[in-house]
Amino acid sequence: MDEQTGWLLDVYAEPEGGIILWLLNDDDQRLRLRLDFPVTFYAAGDFSLLRQAWIYLRDKNVKLERISRRDLFLGERACLGVTIPNPSQLPGLFAELSRQFPALDYYDADIPLALRFIARTDAHLLGRVRITLDEERVQAIQPLDSPWVIEPSPIPLRILRLSPDVDPASRKPTQLQVRYERREYRLPLEPARAFLISLKSDLKRFNPDLILTDYGDTWLFPQLKVWSEETGIFFNPNRDENRDVLTRRADSYFAYGQVVYRGAQAHLFGRWHIDRHNAMSFGEYGLEGILEQARVTGLGVQEMARKSPGAGITAMQMLTALHMEVMVPVQKQQVEGTKTLAELIRADHGGLIYQPSLGLHNNVAQIDFSSMYPAIMVRHNISPETVGFDRLNPAGKENAPEGLVPKTLRPLVEKRLKLKNLLSELSPRDCRVEVLKARAAALKWLLVVCFGYLGYKNARFGKIESHEAVTATSRELMLQAKDVAEDMGFTVLHMYVDCLFVQQVGFERAADFTPLLKSILNQTGIPIVLEGVYKWLAFLSSKRDARVPVPNQYFGAFEDGSLKFRGIELRRRDTTLWVRRIQLVVLELLAQAGTLQELAECLPDVLDLVDRAKRDLKGGRVHPEELVVTQKLSRELTGYKSPSPAARATLQLQAAGHPVAPGQAMRFLFTRGHPGVQAWELGEALDPRRLDTTRYCSLLDRAMRTVLDPCKSLMAPVQLLC
Amino acid sequence: MGRTATTITQHLNEIESSLTAFRRTLRRSDQYVFDGLFAAARRHIAAIGQAESLLPFEFALLAIVLEQAKEIAVLKQELEGLKARHG
Repeated sequence: MDEQTGWLLDVYAEPEGGIILWLLNDDDQRLRLRLDFPVTFYAAGDFSLLRQAWIYLRDKNVKLERISRRDLFLGERACLGVTIPNPSQLPGLFAELSRQFPALDYYDADIPLALRFIARTDAHLLGRVRITLDEERVQAIQPLDSPWVIEPSPIPLRILRLSPDVDPASRKPTQLQVRYERREYRLPLEPARAFLISLKSDLKRFNPDLILTDYGDTWLFPQLKVWSEETGIFFNPNRDENRDVLTRRADSYFAYGQVVYRGAQAHLFGRWHIDRHNAMSFGEYGLEGILEQARVTGLGVQEMARKSPGAGITAMQMLTALHMEVMVPVQKQQVEGTKTLAELIRADHGGLIYQPSLGLHNNVAQIDFSSMYPAIMVRHNISPETVGFDRLNPAGKENAPEGLVPKTLRPLVEKRLKLKNLLSELSPRDCRVEVLKARAAALKWLLVVCFGYLGYKNARFGKIESHEAVTATSRELMLQAKDVAEDMGFTVLHMYVDCLFVQQVGFERAADFTPLLKSILNQTGIPIVLEGVYKWLAFLSSKRDARVPVPNQYFGAFEDGSLKFRGIELRRRDTTLWVRRIQLVVLELLAQAGTLQELAECLPDVLDLVDRAKRDLKGGRVHPEELVVTQKLSRELTGYKSPSPAARATLQLQAAGHPVAPGQAMRFLFTRGHPGVQAWELGEALDPRRLDTTRYCSLLDRAMRTVLDPCKSLMAPVQLLC
Repeated sequence: MGRTATTITQHLNEIESSLTAFRRTLRRSDQYVFDGLFAAARRHIAAIGQAESLLPFEFALLAIVLEQAKEIAVLKQELEGLKARHG
C-alpha cells in the first residue's frame, strides 16, 4: 500500500470500466489512478411498466433492485434501481431504456460523473486529498480541505499558451506563438511536419496541465488532426494516451432573448484545454474565476470554462440533492399551479423599479443590497419545495427544514461575503487582490443566475411560485428601505431592483450614509453596502420623449473621480471603439468637475474635443479597426425581410466562402453606396474615400447627446451639435 | 423565466397605440401636452404595478392627476414666493 497527497485535477469514466483520477502530488508528479465506480439510476411509475423494464434489463450486465427513494416534490417513491458496474455504459443503457419505456419517470440518469464522485467521497475537484493506493488502484480517499476554504493552497499548474498570429476566421495563420514558463517563441505552421514534431516535443518536455489557447476549439485542434493525418505523424495532445481528443460540434441556441453561438469544442483527457475565445466568461473573471467555479460547482474545469454559470448552479443543486439523498429528475416535472386572473396579476411581478428623477444631481449615494435575491432565498428559506402559492404569505416556510435551494446557496453567499470582506481589508497593491477579485466575480455570476433558475422552464428544481416569492419579498424589502430612507430625511431619486440612489442636503461623504445603511439592515435583515457617493450623477431620458425617464441609464463621477455608467453607448457591444473612446474621454473630462458649476465650465472643451474627433475622421486619421461595428447575426439569412447591416456583411462573407451561423458576431465597416457595409473578416483594405463618415459622425452625435442632454440646463444658448 | 401577465409598460404602450387616431386629430400643440400625460403616468409605473389592479389604467389616470397636483403645488409655492418678495 502506498499513500499520496496532492491536488485532484480531473475525474472521468474509463471505457474499460471504473473511473480515472488525475492527481498532482506533492512531488510534482501527475498520477493516473483507477477506481472501481458502479453507478445507479432509477425509474419510477406504473408498476406493470416497471416490471416490463425489469424483464428487459435482467439479461444485461446490471444489478437490479426494488427500492424506495425520495422525490423532492412527491416524497418517497417505489423505484427500480439499476446499478451499472461500468459508468461509461450508463448513457447508452439509459437512452435505450427510455426509448423502450418513455412513460416512466427517470432519475439520476444524467448526473455528471464528477458530481457522483464528489458526493460519494467528499473530495472535490482542485481540492487537496490523501489517497491510499494499491499500485494504481485507489483503495481510499480522504479529503484534506473543502471547496469553501477562502484561500485554498495554490495549485502549481504548468500552463502552455498557444496563439496563432492572426484570427483564423479572417486570415490564414502562418505562425503559432508558444509560451510556457519563461520561454516564448513563434513556431512557423509550415511545413506541417516540422511544426508537428516541434509542438510534440514541447508537449513532452513541458508536460502541461493546461493548454490555454486562442481559437484552440475552433481552429488549432481540428487543424492539428488534419495535419497529423496529412503527414502521418501521430499526434495526441492528451496526457492520457489511451484517449483521443473529445470533440463537440458547434451549435446555436436561444437564451435570454437572443441567439447565442457556441463554437466547436476540443476536450482533453489528463490535462485541460481552454480556448479563451470559446470560454463563456474568460474575459469577465479569467482562469482564476473558472477554477473557482469548477471548485465550488464540481463540474470539471474544461466543462465549466465552456458552460454558463447556470450549468454551474444546476450542478451544485444536483450535488446538494445527492447529499440529501433526493433523486435528480431527468426532466422537470413541476408546472405552474392554477391561478385566477386576480392571483396571476398579484403574483406575476418582477423587481421594483422606480423611474429616476431626470437630469443632473449632486452628492448622490448609491446603496446596494448584497446578493439580494440569493440572500432572500437563504434568509426566507425560499425553495421550490418550501413555497406554495399563498396569496397572504408568498414567501417560503421559514420554519420548515432548509430547502434544497437555500442549502445550495448558503455556503456560496457566505464565501462571497467573506471574499469581499477580505478584499476590503487588503491594500489595492496587495498581490492577492486581482486573484481574489476574479474569484469573487466568478461566485457573483453563480449567484446572479441562481434566481433565474428558480423559474427557468428546464430547471430540475425550479418552480415558478418560488421565483415569484423571491421578487415579492424583494419588492417589500425595497419599500421598507425607501421608507427608512425617507424617514431619515433622504430623497429617493431612483430604485432599481436591489439598489437605491438617495440624496440629502449636507450629506456628501461616505461616512454620512453609515447610519442609513445600519437602519436599513436592521429593518430588512439583508446586508446593504454603499457603492459610493457621486459628486454628480445624471439620469437619462427616453430618446423618444425627453420627459420620460429611463430606468438604469445613468452616468456619474464618484468622489475620487472614478466613473460609473450604465445603459449608455460605452456599455454597448455594438458601439464602435472610436465612439466609445471619445465618449469615455468626454466623461473623464467631466469627471474632473467637482460641482455642477465646474461641470458647466467643462462643456466648451467637450464641444471642441468632438469637433477635433470629427476632423480626424474626415481627414483619414482614425484607424479603420476603431470604426469596426460588431453586431450579432440574430437569425438565418433567409429569415430577414430586409437584411440588417450584419446580414449584408454575412452575405459578403458567405460569397467569399466563409460559413456563418446565427448567433455569431459579425464585424463590418459602414461604407458609402450599396451594400453600405464591408465585412471586416474579408480582410480587404478599404479605400478611405468609401468610408461612410457621415454615418460615423451621426453615431458620435448620438453618443454625445446622451452625455450632453442632461447638461443642457448648464449650457450657454449655443447650438450643441450639428 | 419570463412573465405571463402584461407589464404596466406594455399596458400603457397598448393604450397609447389604441389612442393613435384620437391623438392624430388633436392640434400639434395639444399632441405635445397629450404625450406629457403619458409621460406623467410612466413616472409612476412602479406604483401602478404595486396596485395589482385588474384595471391598471385607472391608476395611470391617478398618476397623471398626481403629477398635475404636484405641478400646481410647485406653481403655488412659486407664486407665494413672488408675492412675498413683491408685497
